[in-house]
Amino acid sequence: MELLLTNLAHGFGVALSLQNLSFALLGALIGTAIGVLPGIGPVATISLLLPITFGLPATTAIIMLAGIFYGAQYGGSTTAILLNLPGEVSSVVTTLEGYKMARNGRAGAALATAALGSFFAGTVATVLVAASGPLLTQVALSFGPADYFSLMLLGLIIACVLAQGSVIKAIGMVVLGVALGLVGTDVQTGQQRFTFGIPELSDGIGFVPIAMGMFGIAEIILNLERPEARSVLKTKVGQLWLTKEEFKRATPSVLRGTVVGSLLGILPGGGASLAAFGSYMMERKISRGRHLFGQGAIEGVAGPEAANNAAAQTSFIPLLTLGIPSNAVMALMVGALIIQGIQPGPRMVEAQPDLFWGLIASMWIGNLMLLVINLPMIGMWVKLLQVPYKFLYPSILVFCCIGVYSLNNNVFDVYMTVLFTVFGYMCNKLKLEPAPLLIGFVLGPMMEEHLRRAMLLSRGDPMVFLQRPISATMLGIASVALLLMLLPNIRKKKDEAMAG
Amino acid sequence: MKLNINTKDVVSGAFLILVALAGLYLNQDHSLGTARRMGPGYMPMMVFWLLAGLGALTVLGGLFSGPDPLEKWTGVDVGSLAAAVAAGVIVWKISPQFSGFFGTTYNAVGIGILAGMVVLSFSAGWRFLGLVCAAVAMFGLMLEKFGFFAALTGTILISVLAEPGHRSRPLGVLGLLVFLLALCWWVFIRELDIRVNLWPQL
Repeated sequence: MELLLTNLAHGFGVALSLQNLSFALLGALIGTAIGVLPGIGPVATISLLLPITFGLPATTAIIMLAGIFYGAQYGGSTTAILLNLPGEVSSVVTTLEGYKMARNGRAGAALATAALGSFFAGTVATVLVAASGPLLTQVALSFGPADYFSLMLLGLIIACVLAQGSVIKAIGMVVLGVALGLVGTDVQTGQQRFTFGIPELSDGIGFVPIAMGMFGIAEIILNLERPEARSVLKTKVGQLWLTKEEFKRATPSVLRGTVVGSLLGILPGGGASLAAFGSYMMERKISRGRHLFGQGAIEGVAGPEAANNAAAQTSFIPLLTLGIPSNAVMALMVGALIIQGIQPGPRMVEAQPDLFWGLIASMWIGNLMLLVINLPMIGMWVKLLQVPYKFLYPSILVFCCIGVYSLNNNVFDVYMTVLFTVFGYMCNKLKLEPAPLLIGFVLGPMMEEHLRRAMLLSRGDPMVFLQRPISATMLGIASVALLLMLLPNIRKKKDEAMAG
Repeated sequence: MKLNINTKDVVSGAFLILVALAGLYLNQDHSLGTARRMGPGYMPMMVFWLLAGLGALTVLGGLFSGPDPLEKWTGVDVGSLAAAVAAGVIVWKISPQFSGFFGTTYNAVGIGILAGMVVLSFSAGWRFLGLVCAAVAMFGLMLEKFGFFAALTGTILISVLAEPGHRSRPLGVLGLLVFLLALCWWVFIRELDIRVNLWPQL
């Protein structure tokens, strides 16, 4: 406990430096902006800004990127409540009750609930990250290569099971991602694999062209295809405060949402949107105001908003302790860390205390900033919504182009981005999820390395994966998860939950 | 079970199988090694077999889980897709004979993509895909030879074609152009100092 406080104090020392503070603020502002604007999400934005962070120290870079991620959770709720338009996937459920509240003239109360609930959940989740990080790290240090391999396999399977739509197609996308990760020089023999003699491919396919093409530019094309008449704001925001009665109803929902969100955030493949869905289902079933659902129940805003923010924070736990990304945003963080020369994994707490504790402290500071950014400054964000998409998309496009080019100062990356844009567009039309592909792409090379090492140690005996207890447990959980999903009943329930 | 074809799934599965077969074919160059000492070809072999299996499962499942047809494409869409691929490949292959510029680095690839995407954008179903990709390819093609400002101008001008609201308002486009050029200069050149030619290299 005492050690934890010392470490946290150290973290606040790092996070409160002027540079880190200003980049945390910048990240929170950018995150809120993209959260408010529909059609551009955290994955695209973080991959867009990745090249920009090269010049920054690792800690500062990660602090800013993290700020974007949880900032987007705050911002996404604003448009969901005021315009019935989810700025992010994770705030889809907020539209259900939040917009109804706004129509009943309680927009201010809904916004305040969302912001305060998010702040509370963010605080709890931050403490959770701080407390569990070092503990899990200790466990992770006893992992052998076989355990790592099984753990990553488990992560991939759960990511698929929880993905939207068909599980088999999601696994197909993961494996396709792993296959894309094979391109490049084989680490152990130096042989070129699937490079077609192109020198730019000897380091592997770039991470940014994939993310930018599939999540950034393909998204622009899809938005252009379905023109949306954005309704002008008619609802008045009103008083940004809750009545005593509302406060009483919202509090238990926030508490439950925090718990649900924290747990689902840690789960690989979970993350903010699943947490919000989970919490909404729960509130609709058990909260005191459940009979008011559909007419603007404050529980339906408080729970999911707390949950999505809690999950956004706790999804850092697998990344910081095990080096395993649990969703597409975390996959980008791995990319950012590797570019900075830091191998994410259990040794990070010891080797990079500034980064680990600084990031945790900055999460709490960032949440505090977001509270200020969102509540008193709400009018500014509503104005931002009035920028028409026809001016927005050329801007996003040129930023993507320059960002991709500046990665290696090579136009090859620009053409790779075009390729992955077309691929991302095709995937959307075929209902193939791009997020599992990105996670597979990041984990693939690590899995190969651990697999080869484990097999070398076991002298070619594959039973090692079942003989080591940690590894066997992971594989057991993975197969149970997979089997459960094949049962038609549970699959139907999942589809219902995903459809909101 | 009644046959009820889910076209999206069948096509997805076929795509996965196709990638897997291509991968397995290319993987013949790599030595497999043994399970104890895996060679560079061992992991790809497993991955691509797994991919082929998943593709097959997707196709099989897709035969019964439908109907979920692809979006309707007109004959023009299919025709222009074929024409675009042909145009792209032809331009890519022959452009170096016309100008030394296309013979260097990836410029031939760039002009090929640009040509293909422009052809593609003539049909209504592909307009947005074609124009947006053409805009990005234009950037890659122009940046090193014609400089930062010219490349951005090219990209912005192509991309605004995708939005009908811009066509009748040249002043709005001009304003956007000036604003974005200034913004990009300030962010990327002044603040981030990326190394790139600003003006044409003649």
